[in-house]
Amino acid sequence: MIDATTPLMQRIRHFWPVVNLCIGLLVITAIVVALDDRILARTLTEGLIRVVIVVALYMFIGNSGIMSFGHIGFMMIGAYATGWQTCCPYTREMFMPGLPGYLLDNSHHFVLAIFLAGLLSAFVALIAGIALMRLSGIAASIGTFAFLMIIYSVYLRWSTWTSGASSVIGLPQTTTPWVAYCYAVVTIFAAFFYSRSKFGLALRASRDDEVAAKAAGVNVIGQRLLAFVISAFFCGMAGGLFGHFLGMLTVDTFFLNLTLITLAMLVIGGMQSLSGAVVGVVVLTVVIDLLKNLESGMFGKDGFVLPTSSTWVVVGVVMMLIIIFRRSGITRNAELYWPFKSDITAEGALRRQS
Amino acid sequence: MRAPVRPHRPRGGARSGLGNGGWLVSEDAGSKAEAQNGHTLEARGVTVRFEGLTAVDSVDETLHQGEILGLIGPNGAGKTTLVNAMTGFQVPAAGEVLLGGKVISRLTPHWIRRHGVARTFQAGRLFRDMPVSENVEVAGVSLGLSRRKAHTQAMEILEWIGLADQAQDPAGVLPYTDERRVGIARALAMNPTFVLLDEPAAGMSDLECDDVMHLVREIPERFGCGVLLIEHNMRVIMGVCERIHVLDSGRTIARGTPAEVQSNEAVIAAYLGHE
Repeated sequence: MIDATTPLMQRIRHFWPVVNLCIGLLVITAIVVALDDRILARTLTEGLIRVVIVVALYMFIGNSGIMSFGHIGFMMIGAYATGWQTCCPYTREMFMPGLPGYLLDNSHHFVLAIFLAGLLSAFVALIAGIALMRLSGIAASIGTFAFLMIIYSVYLRWSTWTSGASSVIGLPQTTTPWVAYCYAVVTIFAAFFYSRSKFGLALRASRDDEVAAKAAGVNVIGQRLLAFVISAFFCGMAGGLFGHFLGMLTVDTFFLNLTLITLAMLVIGGMQSLSGAVVGVVVLTVVIDLLKNLESGMFGKDGFVLPTSSTWVVVGVVMMLIIIFRRSGITRNAELYWPFKSDITAEGALRRQS
Repeated sequence: MRAPVRPHRPRGGARSGLGNGGWLVSEDAGSKAEAQNGHTLEARGVTVRFEGLTAVDSVDETLHQGEILGLIGPNGAGKTTLVNAMTGFQVPAAGEVLLGGKVISRLTPHWIRRHGVARTFQAGRLFRDMPVSENVEVAGVSLGLSRRKAHTQAMEILEWIGLADQAQDPAGVLPYTDERRVGIARALAMNPTFVLLDEPAAGMSDLECDDVMHLVREIPERFGCGVLLIEHNMRVIMGVCERIHVLDSGRTIARGTPAEVQSNEAVIAAYLGHE
């Protein structure tokens, strides 16, 4: 039996949910990298980038209770902002002639570029959030959807900076599985510290009862805005990562498809828990990959082949079943439990954090 | 054991208090004696209208620190609406609410709470997915405490109110009567200057009412605040209030000591007569 009362064990127990998630992802990443299969590695990297997105979504949606359809807009902002700093130094002027002189002549290291792109997303979230965060419930969700439409339309037509309807090609493909893993870990820890903080607590209070939260002194708009800005920052970074994964940018990459699939991951995993966000990504990535393989006939020409696009039908059905029978998702909105003797103190990390 | 938390005084009133950025309210180092030196929460000609219906009609009342004031009246008399107006949930159509002489009736609810006016709700309105302790902690962290300090304070208040053993339970599973007590605990975090209790004993048995009466009576002494108590249960009202204000159809029909109010003919006709 492990003695859970020593300071070290208490500390480990406090961080158990995140440590667990990070080790889980580490094992998956290590195995896939060791298998040395190019296609599998791509699926893995994309999955890890989606961990960043969905965990960022959790920070806002999970804690505030407001569904957001706009966060992929922040990804778009982040992706292009990264591209302006790193893409194709010799052809940048051809793709994006409208860029200011400094950006045309200088390139940043992609880590710095991604960070700055996250800051830009956060700044845009601050401006948009001042208007949007006054809304509650479905009105706020529709507002975020309108935001996505605005960002999409602007980036589609802003051709001198974004190449518009055609694509920007030639971003260095620096997002390896391990790079994506590092960003996923950073995002998971950030989400963990945020939800455990006083700000996360106050925001969850407003999720459970907005009126009572105000009566308890919670600045509901301010807390929502803070979460919106933080999650936009990580979505922006995810955008940069994704650009450096694909090696090219098109505006259609950051629109409805990605919005729906990331939201499905969050809903299926469990909207109100960090573990739910990560578990949702892992489960749905595996399911989608399997179905796609079936669609393309993984058992050879004569074997079983799913009709094209049935993947999305299955994902839709799974999402419906979750909403109907298990609204709190696979994890039931709980964090992963401490597996050892549970003589918990009040500070125990096992508390349901929602 | 008195909670070792400083009484929370309103600082410089509404306007000057806005200067600190909205995130933090520093702990005030005023002693209890100072805190009780006569801060008042005053309704001055407060009128609230809902599409032509006048729910509260030019009500005047002054609540002093350290006293317990009863607010009674038949259903629909405007008691809760008056409390809403005094806590920023309803902007009065006319008249104003003053805290320590400064107008607060246009401030948002969370600001009014930060200035030291707390309230509870008839419906409890707990944060159902959170543990009981976090329900109380929310008020502490929102008013400037760290999570650790807010937790310590929450546990002290829960101990006093008799819910320390349920501190880790999700608030959603508590019985109805305990929900009210969590609501009171949440309102008392950070020692507000005034606390407005909206029917804390509704639907309780006599035994449970005695418990609530006991708690309410202790509040001014222990937390140094003035209490406004809305209640239908006459036994509770007559048992704990020093003064009583009677509303009917939004108007004040009587004010006075419990004895005076009980013998007032208008009150008997409008309110006790209905019983």
